[in-house]
Amino acid sequence: MKLGRRQFLASAGATALTASLSAPAVWAQGAKEVEVGLLVPLSGLYARFGTSCRQGAEMAVDRINKEGGIKSLGGAKMKLVVVDAGDTAEKAKSAAQRMVADYPNMVGVSGAYLSTLTLAASEVTERAKLPMLTLSYSDLITDRGFKYIFQTSATAASQAKQAMPVVLKVAKSAGGDPKTVAIITDNTAASVASVKPMREGLLAEVGLKIVVDETFTPPLADATPLVQKVRAARPDLLFFLPTVISDAKLVLEKMNEFGMGQGRVPTMAFGIAMFEPDMLQTMSPDLLQGMIGSIGSWGGKGHEGIASELKAKYKEPWVDQNVISTYGDFIVMRDALEKSGKADRESLATSLHTLDGGPSKYYPGGVIKFDEKGRRVDAGLAIIQWQSGTPVTIYPDSLAVAKPMWSKK
Amino acid sequence: MRLRTTLPLLVLAVAYAVISFFVTNSYYQLMMTLVLVWASFGLAWNLFSGYTGLISFGHAVFFGLGAYFTALGQIYFDFTPWLLIPVAALVGGAAGLLIGALTFRLRSHYFALAMLAYPLAILNVFMWLGYQELTIPMKHKGAVLYMQFTDGRMYTLIAIVMTVAIVILSQAVERSRFGMALIAIKQNEAAAEAAGINTLVWKLRAITLSGAITGAIGAFYVMVLLVVTPESVFGMLVSAQALTVTMFGGVGTVWGPLIGAAILIPTSQILQAKLGAQFPGIEGVIYGLAIIVVILSAPEGIFWRVRDKLRKRSGTTAVAEAVAIDVPTAGDAAPAASVSQSGGQIILSVRNLSKSFGGLKAVQNVSFDVQRGSILGIIGPNGAGKTTLFNLLNGFQHPDAGEVMLDGHSVFGVTPHRLCEAGVGRTFQVMRPFPRLTVAENVVIGAYVRAANDAEAREHAANAIARAGLTNVAHRVASELTTKELRLMELARALAGAPRLLLLDETLAGLGANEAAEVVTVLRALAKQGITIVIIEHTMHTMVRLVDRFVVLDHGAVLVEDTPQAITRDSRVIEAYLGTKWSAHA
Repeated sequence: MKLGRRQFLASAGATALTASLSAPAVWAQGAKEVEVGLLVPLSGLYARFGTSCRQGAEMAVDRINKEGGIKSLGGAKMKLVVVDAGDTAEKAKSAAQRMVADYPNMVGVSGAYLSTLTLAASEVTERAKLPMLTLSYSDLITDRGFKYIFQTSATAASQAKQAMPVVLKVAKSAGGDPKTVAIITDNTAASVASVKPMREGLLAEVGLKIVVDETFTPPLADATPLVQKVRAARPDLLFFLPTVISDAKLVLEKMNEFGMGQGRVPTMAFGIAMFEPDMLQTMSPDLLQGMIGSIGSWGGKGHEGIASELKAKYKEPWVDQNVISTYGDFIVMRDALEKSGKADRESLATSLHTLDGGPSKYYPGGVIKFDEKGRRVDAGLAIIQWQSGTPVTIYPDSLAVAKPMWSKK
Repeated sequence: MRLRTTLPLLVLAVAYAVISFFVTNSYYQLMMTLVLVWASFGLAWNLFSGYTGLISFGHAVFFGLGAYFTALGQIYFDFTPWLLIPVAALVGGAAGLLIGALTFRLRSHYFALAMLAYPLAILNVFMWLGYQELTIPMKHKGAVLYMQFTDGRMYTLIAIVMTVAIVILSQAVERSRFGMALIAIKQNEAAAEAAGINTLVWKLRAITLSGAITGAIGAFYVMVLLVVTPESVFGMLVSAQALTVTMFGGVGTVWGPLIGAAILIPTSQILQAKLGAQFPGIEGVIYGLAIIVVILSAPEGIFWRVRDKLRKRSGTTAVAEAVAIDVPTAGDAAPAASVSQSGGQIILSVRNLSKSFGGLKAVQNVSFDVQRGSILGIIGPNGAGKTTLFNLLNGFQHPDAGEVMLDGHSVFGVTPHRLCEAGVGRTFQVMRPFPRLTVAENVVIGAYVRAANDAEAREHAANAIARAGLTNVAHRVASELTTKELRLMELARALAGAPRLLLLDETLAGLGANEAAEVVTVLRALAKQGITIVIIEHTMHTMVRLVDRFVVLDHGAVLVEDTPQAITRDSRVIEAYLGTKWSAHA
């Protein structure tokens, strides 16, 4: 018998239908599932960072399920739902609304990388009483009196306060003793906002004197005048805040040419972009060597297993903030669920508020405990440094995998 | 007529409300609200850019100001948004007035580019002020008083009321003198000025109103989103959203933004929801491709494409009916030829007029007089300076020396719309009718200069159409007219302003012999009614039968001024037109 195309399609459709109908029956027989969400930008400007979050989440959920799920819930497996938060506040809000509408059984969520997206999404999750863990820094996130938001990183204000003393501590531990600093920044909003408090007392407080303070407009045509000023002043430390990668490259190349590169003038950059694997596509590791960064969290000691899994599974060379923080979020969620023994939003929120998980394993500093605002108690920061083509954690000691390199002039 | 468009609108609004009432999924509720927010924004943009044709790439500036005003008003003063949203409209309107006053010196693409700069500049100001991220304080008590509903349907209801109000306002503008002025500006700003429209004032009114509406929408948007960042309200994508929904749906009609938003907003959302997690970014590609395809197949938007299709289907019969166009005879069009033609009164006097462009002396020392009720033809070969002379007469250019006196008053430095008010009508060599408006609508634009209200303007227009012999085609859209009918329509528009003096720029150009004869008949009838006519033409042929006197220009100077009979025999004229070889034969 010859099977007509239409008949063939019909029969194929019927088979598929049977298969899909029988599937839920199979699941129902196993242990029940606990739905958890990841709401991060997977499209648009911040997709690269959201993808790292997703890798962390998948590895964590994988591990939790391999270790037998949530035991207090009869070994219930975690089921990860990934939702694209897009790259604008409106998209994040819509995505969050869609998530809470489409997944009424979801008990907790991690997201949404960028502060703006987190602020918009948490307006929705708060009203849906869905607990949300976030690595975003903005103080505003936990200043709104919300009850269902938990901030695992130190807030922006807290990081600004911690960073300078910590950098000095790192310098001293490596035999340096910086007294003078140079600032080279572009005039984009984010850079200006970071530099402003430094000029207005943050540096003076820790006894650092500004000897060069240069602001440029991207794109930079020639870095020579900027770098010459730095060479003339011979500062002990350089704060470097570029936004455009080509500007960063120009300055670093010129520094190298003038014999100040590779950490000979200790240089500190701001923002995660300077420490992403993509940097190596435009710059040689030599140029980046010695550059220091301050960040909410980073992979390090105790994360070796995660690092090798990340390499094997996703071909990513190192564990950055987004991978490790998001990984930690799901472990924290598991611990809170384990403690409450109930798989609903309200119980998870209560459990998170009363959790006392001891010293933090995945976020730098502090403990796994949240204050009444939802901020992680004593949250610290990580100092990282480019060493031989890899950004490695050099502070805090509990996470550090390498000694800081610091030029002693 | 009013009921015909308002009724479907109300039916749609009620249907939308009923559907939203049955939507319990909070995400779809949000979607239904956002569709209306962006539709309203598109409507506000359309009210300015759609009607005036001045493309604004910077409407986010009004949107963002409204948004920030409302957010800050709640954060710092704890005012209710029910109060802040109307005040945000005032803020948006004030910004519109200011920006318009600063930017309307620039034309077309320069205007568009300048508008682009405002939101980008203000975005940085708000960054600098430290307002990178603001959130609306959550209210647990008195949530309704602060427009913080737990039921998403309430936002949709408010958005429906808002959208309906904006549509009704847009339609009221569209039908009034206001809308006609804007449409006239869109088709030809110079022609609008010549028709007696103070274009600057109308443009300012339009951008103020548009800015006010946009400010209120921005304010409401913040209440929906609850978070405001400079990028989310002043960003490029915000301005682009208004353009996209309007251009996609149809520019210059209230239905355009509604159609555009109703299709595009859910589409982009669904694409992101379905594909965003599996194929990050694919939604942007599909969305972009879809827009490109639609713009290519319907460049003016879906609404016009569909309407043109429907019209074509029913339009064939309409054209057949109206094929017989009566040619007015002098008797028909002249109800009372009582105004005396002679009298010897001089209405327009030109004295020693000169104008140079760099080294080129376009007009040199030209003098002539025009008698009331007569027809004067200005002719000359190419490059003789006819158009320059014409522009000097109607106030579009200023002479270097000499003067033009209208009834004894100098017209030097008088703006075109004032000149029109003073009784000088003109037509343009290049016709620019508004192709989708009917003849009657095209003509009424010229009538407002003499009319106290819309009804009077329509009466003047009908009268002018009759005098131009276009009554039979008055209801047809301009795109269906022949060249001759378009010329007559331009003439009717000038007539609608009840001019004493008509300046006609190559009205006979491009017409066949028979058609030209018809136009000549109309013009002679007008002259009999006492209207003085000055007409510029390149060719002499038909003019001989039309004018009372000729002024022949050559190399910017008056070669000869005389009666048609004398001119046709003048060897200097033949030489100027055909060269010395021919003048020898004559």
